[in-house]
Amino acid sequence: MPQDTIVVGAGIAGLRCAGALQLAGRPVRVLERARTLGGRCATRRFEGQPVDFGPVFLQGLPGEFLAALHQVPGPQTLWPLRVDGAGPPCQPGALDAGTIRLAFPAGLRAFPDHLAQGLDIRLETRVTALRLGASGFQVETADGVEECRDLVLALALEQSRRLLATLPSSAEVDGIHALLGMFASEPCLALIAGYPLEVPAPAWDLLLPENAPALQLVAHDSGKRAAPRFRTLVVQAQPRWSRRRLEAEPGLWAAELLAELGTLLGPWARQPLWTHPHRWRYARVDAANTLTRPIQITFPGGQRLGLAGDAFAPEGGAQAAWWSGFRLAERLLDAGTQKEP
Amino acid sequence: MSTLDARLNALVERDRDHVCQGYGPDQVCVRIVAVANLPSRFGDFRIVAFWNNRDQKDHIAIVHGDVVGAADVPARMHSECLTGDVIGSLRCDCRDQLEAALVKIGQQDRGVVLYLRQEGRGIGLANKIRAYALQDRGLDTVEANLALGFRDDERDYAVAAHMLASLSIASVQLMTNNPDKVKQLEQYGIQVSRRLPHLLPPNVHNRFYLETKSRRSGHYIDFTGTPHLQEQSDPVIVEGMPD
Repeated sequence: MPQDTIVVGAGIAGLRCAGALQLAGRPVRVLERARTLGGRCATRRFEGQPVDFGPVFLQGLPGEFLAALHQVPGPQTLWPLRVDGAGPPCQPGALDAGTIRLAFPAGLRAFPDHLAQGLDIRLETRVTALRLGASGFQVETADGVEECRDLVLALALEQSRRLLATLPSSAEVDGIHALLGMFASEPCLALIAGYPLEVPAPAWDLLLPENAPALQLVAHDSGKRAAPRFRTLVVQAQPRWSRRRLEAEPGLWAAELLAELGTLLGPWARQPLWTHPHRWRYARVDAANTLTRPIQITFPGGQRLGLAGDAFAPEGGAQAAWWSGFRLAERLLDAGTQKEP
Repeated sequence: MSTLDARLNALVERDRDHVCQGYGPDQVCVRIVAVANLPSRFGDFRIVAFWNNRDQKDHIAIVHGDVVGAADVPARMHSECLTGDVIGSLRCDCRDQLEAALVKIGQQDRGVVLYLRQEGRGIGLANKIRAYALQDRGLDTVEANLALGFRDDERDYAVAAHMLASLSIASVQLMTNNPDKVKQLEQYGIQVSRRLPHLLPPNVHNRFYLETKSRRSGHYIDFTGTPHLQEQSDPVIVEGMPD
């Protein structure tokens, strides 16, 4: 008996979808290629000190998503309180009045960690191809083949599109493949820089430089932490700048980012104790690159393929990912109950 | 100021603090915020602007004659379609549908066109062009159109019903070929005294329809003969068209 549902991708969308399916009694397994879950909602520890290097805060208007954020156990703080610079935020409405912006001292990954509670998740399991069987899917991984009746791809839209292309051609598959080809994610090169606590404390939590050549934002990450050992800054580069350096040696663009940081903040900022570069090839979607809902393809044998993620709900971002995962689960459950005789 | 203008302007005053629980699942609430004369090539109209609590898209009513408090007012719902309404696109019949409504209403004692600012029935302009691009490649599917934002009209009916209520229109004769629209509006408390078929006069572009013996049910065919999504949720009926 094959697994009921496999979800590929343990980011916000995949975890939300899997959680909703499991709550409704569907056996679900989540496959994740990385060593950690959470996808782009990423936190890494440096000598025990968490640093958020994907989104630097999570935000929402009062509503279900914000309520879900508030359910994350452990302390929460309103962050950023001090925003400097007139550059655009990564999410269009992120800094609007009425929007609540949150950080967790333990790191933003506390949110996906919370969503993952009680789920069957296989980490370090990369899906390489999909095959359509008589009554389900065969999901090829480096470790072998997993089978399921329903399959959810909850990845960056380019990654989902690549896996979709491994399925046999049909009007639906070709149509959705072409559709996804009309949308694109933006890349983001990110640099985490650690300094001694003695360096000057920035007068802001979040800096959005207006006319910087490379920098989109600088987050004063250690400002979110209870007892930091380092002063940490997270630097994220603009999409266009990032795209041009995507295949370059990280040391090269890291040096460029540090130089610009020094110009902005003072010479001390060029001399961190340590740095860690991270390349987000598919960092986010802008508002012109979002669908309005998740996609579901039903194959002739009744097998169902769902696609969710930050591009599958209006405006993008963690909130869109969360909603798309939930809405896809609703569709899968709804159609499932209707199918019963 | 004519009595009619005074009556319409009184609605602006009345709505200044209007708040209600809203219509439909989105609880949309509208306020009449401005009224002006709008003489047009189709007749003498007044244009009524509506603010709404859901988005920045100001809906409008194009009003002819005294509709405030009137019964049996001929009414037409039209979804914004930039490519059809403005550019005269032949990928849809939106411009013909809008013009036919304005001409007909302009010739009668009174009537109203609700112009709903929901481009492509909610799909948004960029995603509508994406839907066109998929059609061009023969790759459009229902699922792709839905994902792009093409949806059923639930929200349109809610906002239209509130707009008619705001205009204090007692009952309407709904100009539509889609009987479902009557039911939907009635569900929101609008009295529909009659359905008026919305016939398009034959022209060089829609002659196609007259020559088509059978219409595939549920499938919309544009002026170029290509089947695709239906932008006004109203089947085309051209005068003289075979059943």
